[in-house]
Amino acid sequence: MPLFDSDFLKKLEYLAIVSRRVFRGQILAQRRTRQLGGGIEFADHRDYTPGDDFRHLDWNVYARHDDLLIKRFQEEEDLHVYILLDCSRSMARGEPAKFDLARRVAAALAYIALANLDRVAVIGVAGDLVADFPLTRGKGRILSLLKFLENLEPTAAATDLARSAASFVHRSQRRGLVVVISDLYDPSGFEKGIDILRHHRHEPHIVQIYDRAEAEPKFLGDLELVDVETGSIRKVTVTERSLKEYRKIYQDFQESIRGYCVSRAIGHTTTTADVAFDDLILKMMRSAGALSS
Amino acid sequence: MIPQLAYPTALALGALAIPIVIFYILKIRLRREPVATIMFWNQIFEEKKPRSLWQKLRHLISLLLQLAFLALLVFAIAEPFFSWESGRARRIVIVIDQSASMNATDVKPTRLERAKDEAIKLIDAMRFRDEAAIIAAGNPPRVYSGLTDHPRTLRDAVQAIRAADGPTTVPQAVELARRLVVDHDNKRIVIISDGGFPGSTDMLKDESIAAVAVGSSATNVGITRFQARRSLVDPIGYEILVEAMNGSNEPVERRLEIDLAGEPVDVVPLKLAAGEKWTRVFEKTSAEGGILKAFFDKPDSLQADDSAWAILPKREYQRVILSTAGNLFLEKVFEAIPLVKLTVVKEIAKATEPGAILAFHRSVPAVIPKGRVIVIEPDRSTDLWDRGEAIAAPIVAKQDKDSPLMAHVRLDNVMMPEARKLSIKGKYTSLAESATGDPLYALIRRPEGDVLVITVNLDKSDLPLQTAFPILTTNASAYFAGEKGELKESIAAGSVADVSIPDIKANEHVSFIAIAPDGAVRDLPPAANGKITIGPLDRSGVWSVVKKPQNDERARGGEMRSTPLAQVACNLAERRETDLRPAADWSTRRVDIARGFGGRPVWYYLIATAWILTAWEWFLYQRRWID
Repeated sequence: MPLFDSDFLKKLEYLAIVSRRVFRGQILAQRRTRQLGGGIEFADHRDYTPGDDFRHLDWNVYARHDDLLIKRFQEEEDLHVYILLDCSRSMARGEPAKFDLARRVAAALAYIALANLDRVAVIGVAGDLVADFPLTRGKGRILSLLKFLENLEPTAAATDLARSAASFVHRSQRRGLVVVISDLYDPSGFEKGIDILRHHRHEPHIVQIYDRAEAEPKFLGDLELVDVETGSIRKVTVTERSLKEYRKIYQDFQESIRGYCVSRAIGHTTTTADVAFDDLILKMMRSAGALSS
Repeated sequence: MIPQLAYPTALALGALAIPIVIFYILKIRLRREPVATIMFWNQIFEEKKPRSLWQKLRHLISLLLQLAFLALLVFAIAEPFFSWESGRARRIVIVIDQSASMNATDVKPTRLERAKDEAIKLIDAMRFRDEAAIIAAGNPPRVYSGLTDHPRTLRDAVQAIRAADGPTTVPQAVELARRLVVDHDNKRIVIISDGGFPGSTDMLKDESIAAVAVGSSATNVGITRFQARRSLVDPIGYEILVEAMNGSNEPVERRLEIDLAGEPVDVVPLKLAAGEKWTRVFEKTSAEGGILKAFFDKPDSLQADDSAWAILPKREYQRVILSTAGNLFLEKVFEAIPLVKLTVVKEIAKATEPGAILAFHRSVPAVIPKGRVIVIEPDRSTDLWDRGEAIAAPIVAKQDKDSPLMAHVRLDNVMMPEARKLSIKGKYTSLAESATGDPLYALIRRPEGDVLVITVNLDKSDLPLQTAFPILTTNASAYFAGEKGELKESIAAGSVADVSIPDIKANEHVSFIAIAPDGAVRDLPPAANGKITIGPLDRSGVWSVVKKPQNDERARGGEMRSTPLAQVACNLAERRETDLRPAADWSTRRVDIARGFGGRPVWYYLIATAWILTAWEWFLYQRRWID
């Protein structure tokens, strides 16, 4: 079964319509940037400094108050949406695979953005940036984006969000909304990577996807646990007690993600891999609508 | 104290340790489980590093536990034993009283069931290498299990003992038990009984005999005798002898009812003191016959003696054709027999009707016709005899006292003038003969029918005036009637009876079965000379003998529909069994069979240890302390 079939595309169109009708401007489309410049809508004044363009002097103020003030205008520009898609080997785990849902969600968000005249880039990350679909604009690009996603495969590298984020911000792109779609299984901690994005004035949004078996494993006995990303092996004896401890640790992990996002006003969505992507998108929209007005 | 092995070759099973070790080595190769990330597991197991030494050891402990388990099992199969065990082995014979009194319900469910429970306890208390046998003191005593040390066999043998209504045979059973263990030193005979048997006191003087008493004082009234016989004066009359006994310690009131073929015949209210016996003879008449049953109106502790049965056959009328010129005595004596239908003819009857008796007075044909014939004072020679001169001293000098034809007849003083000498051709039985040895009354047996001939002149002899004359005639009539209509004696439970089977040809191969009063079916031996042996009858009631149905008939329930060829009434009729009062000299004694702690064989403890090891290993495994 292809990842993006006609039914998928119909759902994308439906989601795009819903996003315009109900959540217009609340997640992606037509957001105003804080950049000031050559727009037509007045924003405020500032003192004149040598070298400023005389054309922007407010002569009326000068005439009335004898102050040299420069008029500032708010510049309207397209929103840049960056989708950082985790392509580490752990994303291939799960029933169904987390990577499938991740790609569908990435495709849906990209489509919504393109439909709202925003610019979209999709970057595959793992130990570093592993794939790149450069910034693009217009709904007509959606098919090539889908093809890009369809051809994307999990790599053998371990998740390193910090390094990936650093590489991403050093590409001197414009700031924008960065949607990180990942299971966040970063041994060095996912927070570093998100912090880098924040520090470079990007607006991160985290979509965490996990498999139910990862939250509540069922296996017992003497095992060789193999980390699919690093290949490291650990011989363990899994008992009911250790399973109980595991569940507690995993729950704490989820709580830490939630706490991190809430404390930093970062958009955050957590889901299992067995949900429908459109339900997840709608859920994200509702969540964003409830938080912002 | 070093144990020996009963089956040392079983140690070869220790080779099973090899596959255990192999499988164990294979098992150490752990199952691989890929996970998305190992970082959470690291958090768990980093904390448990101090137990790593145990982690290393637990594999070895698991292997050692399994090898120890195997070693225990193998050693148990080899069955080790100590020499003192075989030296102290006992031979125990358990005798269970199977008499009717053991069916009393004063202890629940019955005394016999309680006795079986006691026997099971004894079996469970046997020590290793003890052997026991089970004997039921029934009719006859029977060995249900020979000496064996297999408890299940012994328990099955005990459970196979069924209730019976016969008298007690404990003394015979004890003799049988003695023969079973005669060659053993450490022997013990345990009698489980209610004590109702003779010689119990002397028996218990033997130190090798132990007793287990069952039962208590119980209320019981029983019919201890019930017999019916033909009346001596009335051919269709019968007499019933009934004896009842109160076999309890308290006076009782009962109503004794007697039925014939379901119709009440008599009802007698009884008041019996403790141990009192009551006897009465009832005189009744019936030609139709049926099953006589006496029973009490209330049940008590022992059901088997609350009822008694007797078979009263239907009396058949007998046709007699008398050819005579006229003799009033002769005619009246035949008419006086109630079951005889007499026809008097003047001419000589040439052929008999089927089943009829031909009687010739004086005038006889030259050839005696076929069938049953009585000839009185023949006036000529025939094909069976030559008629000679008058006998000089026609006084009966000798008579056959054993013949049923001469029952209750005394001809000592009877004058028989003008009795003629008869030279009988062929073999005959002389029922009465003169001093000269000449037959005066003889029975000639023929394949086509027996002939009775008497040479007395009825006109001149005083025989017609004697009481012997009607008895003689009645005997002759009864003889020709055969056993039809004869009262059959009720036999005591536990006895064997010979039953006449009518209309069975000599070379006919027919199988018979007996149907017990409770519906149980038993095969019977083949009939011999028209008779079949049935028994011992261990249930009181009416037993029926029927032809064994073929397979297809059996499938249709044929044996139940078959008309009985013969019936036998069986009654308990035993005062000792009716008397349920505890015997004064009977009590539980010398039952020291219990083995106590340590009486089990070595292999038992080995198996127990193996089980404990298994449970321990399972416990450790469940907690993943071992694998």
